[in-house]
Amino acid sequence: MIRKLIEKTYRWAQKNSLWVIHYNTGGCNGCDIEILDLLTPRYDIERLGIIAESSPRHADVLLCTGPVTLQAKDGLWQIYAQMPSPKWVVAVGSCSTTGAVFSGSDTVLGGVDHILPVDIYIPGCPVRPEGIIEGLVQLRERIARGE
Amino acid sequence: MVNEINFDTVIAAIEDEIGCDCEPYGGMINEEALRIPVDHLQSVIRVLRDQFGCYHLSTITAQERENQPGEVELIYHFWQGKGISLMISVPLESPQVESILSLISGADFYEREVAELYGVTFTGREETPPLLLPDNWDLGPPFIRREETDE
Amino acid sequence: MNKITIPIGPHHPLLKEPLSMKIDIAGERVLGASLRLGYVHRGIEKLALERTYVQDVHLIERICGICSHVHTTTFCLAVEALLGIEVPPRAQYIRALMCELERVHSHLLWLGILAKHVGLETVFMHTWHDRELALDIMEGVSGGRVSHAANQIGGVRFDLSEEQEAMIRENVEKLKTQVGGVLDVIENEPALRARTQGVAPVSVELIKDYCVVGPVARASGVDIDLRRDDPWPPYDQLDFKVITLPDGDAWARTLIRALETRESLRLCETIMHKMPDGPVTVRAPRKVPEGEVVTRSEAPRGEVVYYLRSNGSDKPARLKVRTPTLAVLSLLPEQLSAIHVADIPVVLAGIDLCIACADR
Repeated sequence: MIRKLIEKTYRWAQKNSLWVIHYNTGGCNGCDIEILDLLTPRYDIERLGIIAESSPRHADVLLCTGPVTLQAKDGLWQIYAQMPSPKWVVAVGSCSTTGAVFSGSDTVLGGVDHILPVDIYIPGCPVRPEGIIEGLVQLRERIARGE
Repeated sequence: MVNEINFDTVIAAIEDEIGCDCEPYGGMINEEALRIPVDHLQSVIRVLRDQFGCYHLSTITAQERENQPGEVELIYHFWQGKGISLMISVPLESPQVESILSLISGADFYEREVAELYGVTFTGREETPPLLLPDNWDLGPPFIRREETDE
Repeated sequence: MNKITIPIGPHHPLLKEPLSMKIDIAGERVLGASLRLGYVHRGIEKLALERTYVQDVHLIERICGICSHVHTTTFCLAVEALLGIEVPPRAQYIRALMCELERVHSHLLWLGILAKHVGLETVFMHTWHDRELALDIMEGVSGGRVSHAANQIGGVRFDLSEEQEAMIRENVEKLKTQVGGVLDVIENEPALRARTQGVAPVSVELIKDYCVVGPVARASGVDIDLRRDDPWPPYDQLDFKVITLPDGDAWARTLIRALETRESLRLCETIMHKMPDGPVTVRAPRKVPEGEVVTRSEAPRGEVVYYLRSNGSDKPARLKVRTPTLAVLSLLPEQLSAIHVADIPVVLAGIDLCIACADR
């Protein structure tokens, strides 16, 4: 009973204070500037407890944009490896979901799930800030449910 | 403001200074184009720069034309008020061009890109390290490979 | 003092996009730098040959999210030149309007990023908040904030209704007031000026030798702007000032973008004032006759050059894109030599990198 209460509190704390790190593995910047837009007064992601972090060691969630290019894939894996558990990966945009318009190129591997286990996919080209917020809210609900 | 370059004066100056055969190529819309021999590339660029103040190299395009198999064509796009392009051709088996890095420092990235995408060797400069292709790329120049696999 | 090499990137808080640099320092001074691009190389030039011209418009828009409209405009101009068709005047004006709005949003974006790096977080919040107005206008007419799909071969995809025209005029007016306030702060803020004045000055000779384009060239006194010097219609019918500054340091590179934003908003008003009536598109055949063309445009970061060759089919035979950031990046190692380590963010931010454009 107490254990359940502690777990619930723990998950409540986790979901309300997600620190995100953002890595662009080869995208056109469209999704990146929409992610940066979340920090600005109109969308204000901080009201959900989400702060953009620079160091993978401080981050809980990895926001990936862009298709994974051959050159950038090692960096992506290293950032993920440096993040402490529990950690989640969100693929923002159609490119990081499937490779989208760049699939078929010799230098592009495809979506992020070629390299990392993805928890939430947010399609869009580019994703609207409201879409990214919706994706992050769904992530919070998954965390609250204990997944 | 930019003084627009005059194409006929340029041709006359090149023929005067260098005495080489330069053939106007009328097929490029929006751009005056000139075919010149590979060996005279540096001297023509010197004439453009010193006599006409035309220093701005927009980019270097490399391509293989279907009606000229076995050759790689390089187009040096200059601009001064209007565009003027210099076209040279090198054989595909030994694509070597003298580098213009000593004349125009801004040509570095463009030469490196042509070198890795088309396999052209630029002589007279240090080795061209890869610019765009990944470090572990071992499939050869991407644009040439496509042609070679057409059997 | 011993030389130490510091690697920056590919992932780094200073950079929005992956770029690898090795910076050599001795004590507090930077000795030199070398760059490694290619993290965002998606092989767009090769991909474009495998798709039709119509599909390529969609692909070209995604070379860069920030300057997407000018890329598709230049590409459509190239294809239309090969087809020998003339775009209706109203479509030309709509294209120019979107180009100028893009310039405004790109410069405001950049000013915010520079302010963030320099420590003026409030300026970042204000510029990005005001930038939303420009994005609202673009969304109101095209449906997209960042990717508008405004261009199609033969014209533009949408027309402007009377309500939309009124909305544009109202929002441009609002932008002028709001952005004017922030730009006043930027132009007169002593802390920003102290941080950037005299940092990494670039001479005219260096600009010409490295073939640098755009605001970086104009900030060093080189009077070059393709909207005036090699215009596509309607820029040949529009009056606007080309701004140059003499000093060529980081402060000049900051100030010039603030001044260009003001000028672009004035130009938006002129465009709306002169916008003619008429159709917005002409029919374009799918197969493009044989030929080759070079088109140039002035993107927010400088000269964009497209070389397009067609072979009579509905797919291009060769497409070459040269984006302005590639031209400016060649100057970066030179710029980074002989500055202090603490000035690296200011110099990096000052050239307004868009690696997605450079790598394609």
